[in-house]
Amino acid sequence: MRARIIGGLALVAAALAAIAATASGGAAATNSITVWLQVDAQAANWEPIVKAANAAFQREHPGVAVNVQYQTWGNHLQKFDATLAGGNAPDVIEMGNTEMTKYMAAGAFQDITSDRGSFANSSTWLDGLAAAGRYGGKLYGVPYYAGSRVVTYRTDLFKKANIKVPTSLAEFTAAARKLGRQQGDRAFSPVYIAGTDWYFAMSFVYDNGGTIARQISGKWKGTLASPKAIAGLTAYRNFFLAASRASKTTDETKPNPYDVYAQGNAGSMVGPGWFSCCVGDKYKPLTAQFVMPSRIKGQPMPGFLGGSLLAVPIGANKSLGADWIKAYTSNQSMTSLRSIGNIPNTTSLLGNSVFERAARKSWFVPTAKNWVNVENGNILRNMLAQILTGKLSVRQAAQSASDNISSVLNAS
Amino acid sequence: MSRRPAPQVAAVAAEPLTLGARQRRPLTLRRVGSAAVPYLLVAPVVIAIAAVLGYPLYKLVTLSFQRYGLPELIQRKGEWVGLDNFRSVLGDEVFWDTLVRTIVFTAVNVALTMVLGLLLALLLVRLSTPVRVLLTTGLVLAWSMPVVVAVQVWIWMTNFQNGILNYTLTTLGVGDYFQHDWYATTFSKLAMVTLLIVWGALPFVVLSLYAGLSQVPRELLEAASIDGASSWRVFRDVTYPVLKPILYILTSLSIIWDFGVFTQAYLLIGASQVNVDNYLMGVYVFIEGYGHSDFGRGAAISVLWLLIVALLSVFYVRKMVRMEETA
Repeated sequence: MRARIIGGLALVAAALAAIAATASGGAAATNSITVWLQVDAQAANWEPIVKAANAAFQREHPGVAVNVQYQTWGNHLQKFDATLAGGNAPDVIEMGNTEMTKYMAAGAFQDITSDRGSFANSSTWLDGLAAAGRYGGKLYGVPYYAGSRVVTYRTDLFKKANIKVPTSLAEFTAAARKLGRQQGDRAFSPVYIAGTDWYFAMSFVYDNGGTIARQISGKWKGTLASPKAIAGLTAYRNFFLAASRASKTTDETKPNPYDVYAQGNAGSMVGPGWFSCCVGDKYKPLTAQFVMPSRIKGQPMPGFLGGSLLAVPIGANKSLGADWIKAYTSNQSMTSLRSIGNIPNTTSLLGNSVFERAARKSWFVPTAKNWVNVENGNILRNMLAQILTGKLSVRQAAQSASDNISSVLNAS
Repeated sequence: MSRRPAPQVAAVAAEPLTLGARQRRPLTLRRVGSAAVPYLLVAPVVIAIAAVLGYPLYKLVTLSFQRYGLPELIQRKGEWVGLDNFRSVLGDEVFWDTLVRTIVFTAVNVALTMVLGLLLALLLVRLSTPVRVLLTTGLVLAWSMPVVVAVQVWIWMTNFQNGILNYTLTTLGVGDYFQHDWYATTFSKLAMVTLLIVWGALPFVVLSLYAGLSQVPRELLEAASIDGASSWRVFRDVTYPVLKPILYILTSLSIIWDFGVFTQAYLLIGASQVNVDNYLMGVYVFIEGYGHSDFGRGAAISVLWLLIVALLSVFYVRKMVRMEETA
């Protein structure tokens, strides 16, 4: 309660302090470079790959220290903004693929188009990732790795209910109903889905041939109110109501779906492939994964392909930064990343695992510079909550969200 | 006000005692010196305030007249756009919706805080010592809890699936609260924030009012009840006039605090649930300024907000000065 009034003002003051701190220039000392990776890469089986890349880099640049700093997804952009304002941005930064466009449009990264050929596998980079690193015909981000979304399920429960891995949405829905009846527990979700998990909900939109927004002669237009998108949103609502007992207004981190699963309250869950890590010792041997089926039998449903790219910020040492990226995205590095369950940045290394099959058919958010504002304004989540709680009809909610998206994407 | 010229008065009073022009000069010097002392004494405070408040404020105002987004942040150079930011904010219905919502929210929060606070303070006076110590300790503990920790505890208690609140209500037979969603609607979200804020604000209000109540002369209360005054009458004509200045200060401070609430609203509703339907002023500025990296527009909203809070403060300061004069 104490510092409440000042709260907002303090934020502004902090912004000003950040802006005012236009101290020493960015030209980093050439005896070290700073690399920002996400904490994911700090995992015990991942960090050796980073270390190996550092060693390879240092063989070419003896005496140049690599200072790897681990960041969290929640606040790395705010920190990055502050370093941009202060002129001490890192030499290499890992960016989420949905975060790239805004920063490329603002001129936060150095153009590395001329280096393209020298990055390993640059002719076979994954389309979804490579698209996120291009803006205005120039290359700013090198694909790093991707993460697809799959269904993680309890083999024992499926067996007990005599359910086979579903090959269509209709089959999956029927299976969910059967599982629910069999468990007869009010807290049990046959398929745990957080109500406002927009990554999953939009997959239904794309599965029905809809899109979130389109660019028509230079202007963005929200397209969620189109008949195809509405069919997709309706399919999502029906599937959610049949399969999930999760809160209709919460997101996919409160609680974490794998925590619900580990408590025995879920027959399956939808999310990134690594969800299988955290299902608890009891269910670990009883867990397997499959690709989310489409409404068309035998097809996968297009999934959201998350992923990261590596970029060289403005003011950084471009040649050293690019060289470090080359070392870290080498064929050997990618092979190691794949061996710990990530999807490599190139189709040439893509195998036939469930994640890799799920990655083959994917969708990506509109590449508009203001897209991030749609995300942090929670326009899609709000729409989903309105649809699931019945506050608005699918058509009303979609129309209002679509209008909002148009105005946000076209704002200057 | 009347006390400030005191040193000069003393110096003037000393004058008639001195005779002759030769003795005047040192006296004048002393007069100048003694006039400067108060200013020298306040100088450090003025300089400190100018540095930590004045400069950021100056930057804030200049920022509000510039286009300052991510590209400008990278170039470290804004573009002067005059009143564009203000025009865009004042023409945005989200701003007006948020303002109205924040005013209603503040009114409800302050009313609840003050009424409950007063009732609890009156209760505190009538309690036996052990119970009073127990209650006071509880209040102080609630007061000393960091806001972020308190929010986290509230999130756990009201959790949809495993929250103790749903469990307790269901077990006590109040109703079927199995998987009740306390954050289902905009109204319920803001109601939860209100509960948390009133809970956090009560200790300060209760303890201040309790201190004020100890100033009510006991013999007056006794005399009034011997004269046959009802307890409501005693409160209205004896207790209330004594408490009035304290109630006034607390209400004014609560209005300013609740109008600018950010932490509780942002964390309890959650980063993934705040949206145009439930923005309060603090959250709105944060999303517009930081979320959208539109620092110029965020600054414009802050300036408008600052003006509103300043208006409230002027009202409060004037009332305080007047009260002091009549006292």
